[in-house]
Amino acid sequence: MWAYIVKRLLLAIPVILGVAFMVFAMVRLVPGDPARIIAGEAATQEIIEGIRKDMGLDRPLLKQFATFMGNALRGDFGRSVRSKAPVAGEVAARLPNTVRLATAGLFVAIVVGVSAGIISAIRPYSWMDTVVMLIALAGLSMPVFWSGLMLILIFAVWLGWLPAVGTGGMAHLVLPAVTLGMSTAAIIARMSRSSMLEVLRSDYIRTARAKGLAEAAVVNRHAFRNALIPVITVVGLQMGTLLSGAVLTETVFAWPGIGRLLVEGILSRDYPIVQASVLVVAMAFVLVNLMVDVLYAVVDPRIHYD
Amino acid sequence: MRRALALIAAIALTGALVISAAAAPAVTPTRGGTLIVGSGVDAVTLDAPMITDSPSATVSEHMVESLYRLTPEGRIVPMLALGHTVSADGRTWTIRLRTGVRFHDGTPFDAEAVKFNLDRMLDPATRAPFRFLISRITSVTVVDSSTVRLVTDAVFAPLLAHFTHSSVGMQSPTAVRRLGVDYARQPVGTGPFKFKEWVRGDRVVMTRNDDYWGEKAFLDEVQFRVIPDDGSRVAALEAGSIHVAVRVPPREIERLKTARDFTVFVNDSLRTIYVGFNVTRPPFNDVRLRRALNHAVTKTAIVNGALFGTARVSDAPIVPAVEGYSKIMTYEFDLERAEALLREAGYSRARPLRAVFHHPSGRYIRDAEIAASIQGLVRRAGIELELRTMEWGAYLALTNRPQPENDVQMYMLGWGTVTGDADYGLYALFHSSQWVPTGSNRSFYKNDRVDALLDRGRTTVDQAERNKIYAEAMKIIMDDAPWLFLHSESQVTGIRHTAQGVVVHPAERIELFKAWIRR
Repeated sequence: MWAYIVKRLLLAIPVILGVAFMVFAMVRLVPGDPARIIAGEAATQEIIEGIRKDMGLDRPLLKQFATFMGNALRGDFGRSVRSKAPVAGEVAARLPNTVRLATAGLFVAIVVGVSAGIISAIRPYSWMDTVVMLIALAGLSMPVFWSGLMLILIFAVWLGWLPAVGTGGMAHLVLPAVTLGMSTAAIIARMSRSSMLEVLRSDYIRTARAKGLAEAAVVNRHAFRNALIPVITVVGLQMGTLLSGAVLTETVFAWPGIGRLLVEGILSRDYPIVQASVLVVAMAFVLVNLMVDVLYAVVDPRIHYD
Repeated sequence: MRRALALIAAIALTGALVISAAAAPAVTPTRGGTLIVGSGVDAVTLDAPMITDSPSATVSEHMVESLYRLTPEGRIVPMLALGHTVSADGRTWTIRLRTGVRFHDGTPFDAEAVKFNLDRMLDPATRAPFRFLISRITSVTVVDSSTVRLVTDAVFAPLLAHFTHSSVGMQSPTAVRRLGVDYARQPVGTGPFKFKEWVRGDRVVMTRNDDYWGEKAFLDEVQFRVIPDDGSRVAALEAGSIHVAVRVPPREIERLKTARDFTVFVNDSLRTIYVGFNVTRPPFNDVRLRRALNHAVTKTAIVNGALFGTARVSDAPIVPAVEGYSKIMTYEFDLERAEALLREAGYSRARPLRAVFHHPSGRYIRDAEIAASIQGLVRRAGIELELRTMEWGAYLALTNRPQPENDVQMYMLGWGTVTGDADYGLYALFHSSQWVPTGSNRSFYKNDRVDALLDRGRTTVDQAERNKIYAEAMKIIMDDAPWLFLHSESQVTGIRHTAQGVVVHPAERIELFKAWIRR
């Protein structure tokens, strides 16, 4: 198992390098001059040329890339072209917020999604199944900028129970986590339901029932674990997505996470910010994928990595 | 000596009476508390000469002050300066400075500090985007600790107005030298508030400067919180999480009228919104077509429809609050006149005028909706516009290309004359030396008479004379119609009743210098 993990981590290096080059080239291919955006509409050409020179944008592209990678390997991602703040610090300041929101959102999604999926699967095609799956469909269809605003309206403006926006204590986390969790919960619910239904139809479940086990034991001990594998895959993919920044949720709740940093970076052509954020996101994806693969083996003893 | 002291005491007392009398009809301000402003975007940099956006300037001006200040009423008053004299030839300015003022880090504010700040902004290596505001200054000399002398290469009338600009703010030389590039995240000025912390993307926090040279602030703390989503910002105001919400969407005004805890204010701004034509290329090198579009658009329909009445139809290229403004004209909505002009130029309903109209989305209040309105309105005159909505960065790059390669036919932009002086609002936009990428003349407009008038406006000191010069220039400009003249934006701000003394400055700033919390 450890050898497998080390191998996977080594394999991640070319992936990260590839991502680094792609994002480096892509931000420069997008039309729009960072120097012009920094300097504003009123600045003279002389100032703009000066800024381009300071940023090293007048040098050949490959040289720029070499400098960028050389510095990045030493942990120096440069300074934001707009704010002049060290990029590593900017990303490091946002990352904990993103991880906190993603984890809380995923927690909501798993608890709600898996429970809903199982309840539906136990009584398929009953009224309960229909209601739960309708709610799941609604959750999936509601855009977060709408559902988020509705939650703010109800729980912050009308009831006054929770803060409307911003970061702070646990109370600040509730609404964004629920908003973020809702759409993901819907996906997990649908996946859990179909996976559970499939397992419940299998021979070993029939055997378990035939030997007189209580239904609760059948579901909890025999079906649940086996139904989890596809659910873990979905959860893993969702975790990656959530870590790469839930931009809309972050925007609605004024949550300073990596998603907003990335989008603002792109809009202002802040190359160093975009490069560093995308690299962090890529690493998060690689790590989460690895974790998912390891989890398979933990959940299903039949899976080995040798 | 004793008599002098008595006199000073008497003056001080009168001053005190005036202040308390002014405050008496309302409730007496109370000291203390934290006031929270919800703004749409975070500050970018807090190093004054590097600031180009109003959210950064709003935050900065609470900590960093300039030599002069533009009041919300549009007057230029001394701030860190006490007054100035200009030599007979108009090129030497002697500025007397306020004494006994210290920066937040204890560094004295004196002539050396002024020289340091002006030299720093003038140094091309600083890359100050607004360097052109003071670039006519050729030398800054320290006369004594409270007097500086400036020499300009020519008479430059707008200098005083330009000194009010936030980018010419006075910052502690000690801090600038010590912190280097990191200064941008921890500014040190002389203002009524001191920097406390900046959580990027979340908030900037400032505390009261108890050693302030002027009347001290009432608030203990001021926070500028970033709430990017318009709906969330309004909800946060309704929930009481913030005291002030900037940029309330105009469509919300009606609904929020019934709110008990806050009021939505509509204030003028110095920003003019316009659609520029490239006057050097077909089809808009024909003035008849430019005028036809001006006549074909019902500006009041845009103001009342898309903007819910929160704007003012332009009657000059600059707004009334700007020094040098005078009412010139408005192209009245006249479909017949528009069609006649089109016919003269060889267009008809069978052969309609077609053009591509580039515009940004989300940069100005309801910009994309306004562009769509214009498209619909001019169709009645038989003009077919194709809309190209663009992201801001790409849009700037596109419209900023030099004349030979610039094929943009029509573009929408806004310009805030934040110095409150006509020179800033006209020179960069209409002088032929200012064609992009050098300046901001994206229409490639050139009229020798206008050039001469704008040059004279800069070098004429007498304001009445300047007003006449600018009136003549604006009249020619409006007649030449390099723009489709639209409107000036308003600032729509929600303020909770507990927050008193909050000022919405026309230069798109929220000022909390004298604000206080009612308990």
